[in-house]
Amino acid sequence: MARKKTNTARLLIAAGATVLLAACAPGEVTNEGSSSEGAAPEVQTVDPAEFAGETLSYVYFTDGPDEQATRDLIAGFEDEYDVTVNLEILPYADLVTSVQARLSGGNAPDVVRLTSLTDFRADLLDLRTYLGEDYAEEFLPGPVTGATGDNGELLAVPSDATLNGPFVNVDMFEEAGVELPDPADPWTWEEMVDAATEVQEATGSDYAFAIDKSGHRLSTILSQYGTALVDGNEVALDPQKAEQALAPLVEMMADDRMPRDFWLGSGTRYEGANEIFLAQATPVYLSGNWQVGQFAANAEFNWAVAPNPCADECGGFPGGKYMAALAEGPNPALAAEFIRYMNTAENQETFVAAGGFLPTRADLSEEGVQYPARQADMDMFLQDLERTPELGYEANAAPAFSGAGTALVEALSRVVAGEQDLGTAMSDLQQSTQSLVEELAP
Amino acid sequence: MIKASTKQEQRRRKPPLGLRLAPYLFLLPNTAIFVLFTIWPAINGFNISLYSSSNGRTFRWEGTGNYQRILSDDGFWGVVMNTAIYAVAFVVLSVGIGIFLAVLVDQQGRGRSFFRAAFFIPVLISPVVVGLIWNWMLERQNGLVNTFLGMEIPWLVDDNLALVAIIAVGVWMQVGFYMLILLAGLQSIDPTLYEASGMDGASRWLQFRTITLPLLQPSILVVVVLATIHGFQAFDYIYTLTGGGPVGATTLIVQYIYENGFVSPIRYGAAAAGSVLLFCVVFAITIVNYMIGRKREAV
Repeated sequence: MARKKTNTARLLIAAGATVLLAACAPGEVTNEGSSSEGAAPEVQTVDPAEFAGETLSYVYFTDGPDEQATRDLIAGFEDEYDVTVNLEILPYADLVTSVQARLSGGNAPDVVRLTSLTDFRADLLDLRTYLGEDYAEEFLPGPVTGATGDNGELLAVPSDATLNGPFVNVDMFEEAGVELPDPADPWTWEEMVDAATEVQEATGSDYAFAIDKSGHRLSTILSQYGTALVDGNEVALDPQKAEQALAPLVEMMADDRMPRDFWLGSGTRYEGANEIFLAQATPVYLSGNWQVGQFAANAEFNWAVAPNPCADECGGFPGGKYMAALAEGPNPALAAEFIRYMNTAENQETFVAAGGFLPTRADLSEEGVQYPARQADMDMFLQDLERTPELGYEANAAPAFSGAGTALVEALSRVVAGEQDLGTAMSDLQQSTQSLVEELAP
Repeated sequence: MIKASTKQEQRRRKPPLGLRLAPYLFLLPNTAIFVLFTIWPAINGFNISLYSSSNGRTFRWEGTGNYQRILSDDGFWGVVMNTAIYAVAFVVLSVGIGIFLAVLVDQQGRGRSFFRAAFFIPVLISPVVVGLIWNWMLERQNGLVNTFLGMEIPWLVDDNLALVAIIAVGVWMQVGFYMLILLAGLQSIDPTLYEASGMDGASRWLQFRTITLPLLQPSILVVVVLATIHGFQAFDYIYTLTGGGPVGATTLIVQYIYENGFVSPIRYGAAAAGSVLLFCVVFAITIVNYMIGRKREAV
């Protein structure tokens, strides 16, 4: 009898647990994607005087020198609108998970600085609601690509642009008697590798060439050879072109012209090769414009930004940051106005000049930006931005880009470790990217 | 009549309700915290494993889809193989070396306090710091180990050596903790057993086999269970030491879960499914360990 009672109790507990489990879906549950029709929303006008006394939260990560510029601009916004802005600075590594945790907890911040919209697209405010349909036209079409939703929504404003490109150790080139390329007439990949090798041999440096261990940086080379990992919601990788593009790296790592241990020793983690360049262990280093500030402060030798090498295409590979408002944020109207304020021509110039970034506004791009230092190097990046193919913007904005970039790093690692030939690795990469695109399709 | 008096007696003896409830009331705060921070997240974790999320927050019912996807992923099986090799080697070496060190520091002699502390210190160092320190020490060209050996061994960039390196570092980091548990076990053994066997002419090795090992079994069982759990859950120091490389050779299951759950594109469902599978494996191994241990105790 007692056993029977125990069994009944167990059954009741099990049934209760099942009901409980069924009731506790992990969040907002949906069967289909967004059903937005894509029509531009009716613009809501708000009298700025109505913002007085309100508070706005801005979740931010800093690259360094941009922080003070942001604080100064925020102080100006607070004065002008009589509001309070809570600037919450997070480490970049915690940004996505922290904001998602806040969203899940019903405590969404108003504005967030992001490098990719992939993990937030469904949560972002369509800024056209407050800033109008034509607002996007104030920005360059390339950076806007990454901020545009599948149905034409303006999900963020590109607040700064970055571009990948090579840095050269001018002292080492001079010592070797090797000429630097003409900024107006960039070198080819073959010419760059030959020049770097010649400098290495003449100066006895450890390596000839270094590149960050990053799918984004490798995409620069793919782009120059006329291919990319993804294009919107489709796979764009041409395995043959990718093989041609990456072969020089594999060869250089095989004969120690590139740091092989650096590439293999950090697994899936991103690694910057800036210390190798700063230690004068390589004459050429492919990274991006965000390195200008730290090289200006730390390099004990003459260096310069060189034009990106050309193959089928010239130019670099674009990236950048976005300012986005969360639809669930407590004050979307103020958030939209804050984003507009921070990205007026004057304010964006202040921000990008301080941070060593490239502008995203069409007017600033046309007029140019005056940087406090290294103007020639920043101008080199601006010049290369004009040569950058559209495919790069499409690729960088695609939902599957970051995952495919990690897969690209792993594929190249397999080749460098001798586990696979480059052709097979690229074919496999095409297939894995296809799966990723299907998984992340909206 | 007798029955009635017994019942009355029982009623008289029965403590008041407040006293009977007191133990439960004392347990309540801890139980609530345990349910809130352990049981509930575990149930919710299992629940999340049944959904997929395309943006990390909007969830779609998947049923067993995440489990099927993980189990059909070649990468996952590679990670499982790495984890199995790591866990087995870690348990065997940790327990073996732990016993050796415990016996060593159990001896009377000068400096034994120093050695006890020295072997235990790595346990106190943050695993992230351990990863960074060993990364510098095992570096091919300028690392301390290769400089000492006068060679250029690619510890962290060769598939097989990297796995050996993370096992060695893991054992170095944890063995002091196991040594301490085993030392406590050794010190609870009655010294007269050794005296008696010594008088009968038993050698040190025979004493070790016939007295130490059998009487140390409860402590060994605890250490084996703990080492198994540590072995299957290793992640932090490995991530800073090798990042799971080269080419995934040192990627263990917790890193696989971490990368699904926290690296873009975020897949909470897949990460939760991986966690549930890991829990099942660790739970099963722990139960088997206990059953084997109990059987031995009964014998």
